[in-house]
Amino acid sequence: MRICIIGFGSVGQGVARVFNMKRNRIKKDYDLDLQIVAVADSEGAVISEDGINPALLLETKQNTGKVSDYPDYGFSGVTGMDLLDTIEYDCLVEVTPTNINDSEPARSHMLKAMNTGKNVVTSNKGPLALGFTELRDTAQTNKVMFKYEASVGGAMPIINFAHETLSGCEIKSIYGILNGTTNYILSRMAKEGSSYNQTLNEAKEMGIAETDPTQDVEGEDAACKVVILANSIMNMNVTYNDVIVKGISQITPKSIQLAKKEGYLIKLIGEVSPDSLEVSPRLVSEGSPFAVEGTLNVATLKTDLADDVTVVGKGAGSIETASAILSDLISISKSMKNI
Amino acid sequence: MRLKLVLELLDVPGQLLDALNPIGRLGANIVAVIHQRDVKTERGTIPVQITIEGNEETLNTVLKKLEADGIQIMRVDGILRKEKITTIFIGNIVDQDVKDTVNILNQLEGVRVADLDLKMSDHPEHSASKIIIEADYGRKKMITSKIKELGNNKGFLVINEV
Repeated sequence: MRICIIGFGSVGQGVARVFNMKRNRIKKDYDLDLQIVAVADSEGAVISEDGINPALLLETKQNTGKVSDYPDYGFSGVTGMDLLDTIEYDCLVEVTPTNINDSEPARSHMLKAMNTGKNVVTSNKGPLALGFTELRDTAQTNKVMFKYEASVGGAMPIINFAHETLSGCEIKSIYGILNGTTNYILSRMAKEGSSYNQTLNEAKEMGIAETDPTQDVEGEDAACKVVILANSIMNMNVTYNDVIVKGISQITPKSIQLAKKEGYLIKLIGEVSPDSLEVSPRLVSEGSPFAVEGTLNVATLKTDLADDVTVVGKGAGSIETASAILSDLISISKSMKNI
Repeated sequence: MRLKLVLELLDVPGQLLDALNPIGRLGANIVAVIHQRDVKTERGTIPVQITIEGNEETLNTVLKKLEADGIQIMRVDGILRKEKITTIFIGNIVDQDVKDTVNILNQLEGVRVADLDLKMSDHPEHSASKIIIEADYGRKKMITSKIKELGNNKGFLVINEV
């Protein structure tokens, strides 16, 4: 499978690292040869029909910050869109930074790939939260596969899990902790009794919170995931603006104490149910599946036949997220063989 | 027939007697009473298990009388009659807000504010209040959305149960 990667930040590099670790194993187990034929970052691109060496690519990016410095095959100033016009490939891995204002350039990349008959795998929440229907319909019209497991919960299996493992069940609602940064902050506040600002700063120092943590702490990131789950698992037709979003910046140590006295923790919960699409701080029982700590994500799917099913996993991280992308690629390869 | 009840009594003298008296008077037999004074709920009330015996009509009259006397029946034959709803408000909460909220909630049918805890802060907007409500079983959804509405109107962050 010839793969084109657009975006070479944390997730893109994770994909290259995972390919490097697993390529032989995957060839043996699935008869699937994962070959990177082109990679673009914000500065330029590297193109090689004979395949790009993931280890050398990672080394180049680390040394100079640009994939276009890859020996012999680098092209400075070439954009993702340019790549999709010129190269031959089978599957686009779209991992540019999420843009929740207008979802570009990721949206254009994905539509372009689909409209030229290519499969698409992405971890990019922006385009899925703002225009899920457009992307899904474009994929269907062009009879290509569109997979996005990595967009929700990183390594926590949920989308393919609901579609495949729970395919006989009707999913009635989904409740979950869909953002690792806020879970880390709330867990620490509960444990240490520290203030919100103090804990946020600690999370920044540890690299768990970003320098501008707004998307995480104000619930925007979790809201994107709520939209993706609503559309893809519950067949709703909703977009980001349909979600009521409240973040955690108002949570105080005193409110956490009050909750604790009754055996509750405060967690930022995303709710996808026919009654409500919402991200807000909620009370969860200390013994419940939602009482996970650190940066973990968790989601409970309420089903008609299997009752409640809960999944837990690492919600972020370069390799963890890449693992979900790898699963999508393998699943595409399997489906193509069945046709 | 027999009914196994779980009542929640205040920890003050005479409460158990007040609860038991009407049962006998109305013609039901008391089969068993399990009363452990040292087991308390979070709110300081004492759960008491009582098994009573009588015909259906008598037992129904007993249940009605207990409720009319303001005694909380939490379970009947293991089935929850009342459920507890906990919620937390964060914001610039003043006494009046608390009174208003409690009054509005208490006016709802089958709803009783059972406990209230207010933590004021040096920064007024960081004050937090916890409200525990006991309500007839099955009304949680309605009450939760009512609480959300009340809190939002006053500009508080409302933290409801999942």
